[in-house]
Amino acid sequence: MLGFIKKDLLMIKSNIKILVILLFIYVIMAFQGQMDLSFLIPFISVMIMMSTFSYDTFNKWEAYAVTLPNGRKNSVKAKYLATIILISITTIIIAILSFIISYAKTNIIDFENIIGTTFGSLFATILLQSLIYPAMYKFGPEKARIGLMVIIFSVAIIGGFIANYIDLSAVIKILEYIGAYWIIIFTIAMILMLYVSYKISEKIYFKKEF
Amino acid sequence: MENILEVKNLCKKYKGFELQNVNITLPKGMIMGFIGENGAGKTTTIKAILDIIKNYTGEIKIFGLDNRKEDKKIKEDIGVVLDDMFFPEILTPNDINTIMKNIYKNWDSQLYFKYLNDFTLPNNKPIKTLSKGMRKKLEIATAISHHPKLLILDEPTAGLDPIARNEVIDIFQNFIQNEECSIFISTHITTDLEHIADYITFINNGKIVLSKNREELLEEYGILKCSQEEFEKIDKKDFIKYKKNKYQYDVLVENIKEFNKKYQVNTIDKITLEELMILMVKGEK
Repeated sequence: MLGFIKKDLLMIKSNIKILVILLFIYVIMAFQGQMDLSFLIPFISVMIMMSTFSYDTFNKWEAYAVTLPNGRKNSVKAKYLATIILISITTIIIAILSFIISYAKTNIIDFENIIGTTFGSLFATILLQSLIYPAMYKFGPEKARIGLMVIIFSVAIIGGFIANYIDLSAVIKILEYIGAYWIIIFTIAMILMLYVSYKISEKIYFKKEF
Repeated sequence: MENILEVKNLCKKYKGFELQNVNITLPKGMIMGFIGENGAGKTTTIKAILDIIKNYTGEIKIFGLDNRKEDKKIKEDIGVVLDDMFFPEILTPNDINTIMKNIYKNWDSQLYFKYLNDFTLPNNKPIKTLSKGMRKKLEIATAISHHPKLLILDEPTAGLDPIARNEVIDIFQNFIQNEECSIFISTHITTDLEHIADYITFINNGKIVLSKNREELLEEYGILKCSQEEFEKIDKKDFIKYKKNKYQYDVLVENIKEFNKKYQVNTIDKITLEELMILMVKGEK
């Protein structure tokens, strides 16, 4: 299975120059206060991993992958593990950059705020990828990309509606009640989301014809 | 003789196309050429053997094991080249080595780089910069670098120039020197098979129409070139197919000796696989 993970990471590595340039632009924007870096985790991670799905489909790798030992099982498992590796790397990079930017701008490191926003973004990333991966396997990257846009816009519209018309005090109360346990609860939720998403993707991939 | 590949009553339905009761038996140490026109069912059969497609019926055994139940065990010992290019184009041949040595237990990096060297393939250039022929060679080098016992090749010489084709055929012949190894090869380029294949299996419209030892086939089958008058004297059951050309009839005969005995003709030529394929597909009965 390590071979399948390496394949995805090597494909990402081939595009590393573009990613470094992107990151550089965003860091400059963050320094100027035009962008919050923590929100880049979902964007960068999803874009990078979606490109590997597109390469797989475009280059007809999937049919060949099935002919390799344990190909069907390992292809899916490796995609999820490569994602976890990638998310971990981007999260660490973004967290370090956020600390540096925070300190450079104010001479104070706002630990609580940075950890909170980084963790929130991490949660959003996992949620997004847990939703999009089964769609990638079921409908292919082109259709799933449209689905991703629909999800993002739907969440934005529904979120806006909720914020404007619904009393959020109950939600705030729940969050206050959770208090210090929020990291544990959100971590469990992320693991569960990834697990359920993986199982669905595996089921789809096992039946898929190439 | 032990069979390395057995396909029994393989059926698969698509809209407008159907594989019907495909039966294939490849003994150990042999090369089987799988021929047929485009869309005849060659790739579909290979995809079923490799479990790339699902929902087919019938039984497929490789090394005596069920291809669906013993997937991992079987695939460690199979080398595959598919008809489409399949390596991610942004990777390099070096990357392929990194990937494959972490996939196959028996991956032999030394052998792989030897093949790259023999084929004069660059190690560090992205695959997208390689020509079609070079990519095919890379796929073949990858297919044989983990010491497989069975090669399943779908159009492996397509896109190669005659010199490269010759190199590839030599590699297949070397591969088969080990009597434990076998090759199942589908191709349009039937001349490649005339020198190396032990068996020929011919598929047409999703059905196997012929599966025979190559030497016997080329020895027994013949092509009678005759006039309309001569053709009309031949009993329908004594030939397989015929094709009316501008000046003559080409008649496909199954048993040259018996035909000669009955009709006292001496103008039956030995058939090539290409002529056989054309007459079987385009000929009338």
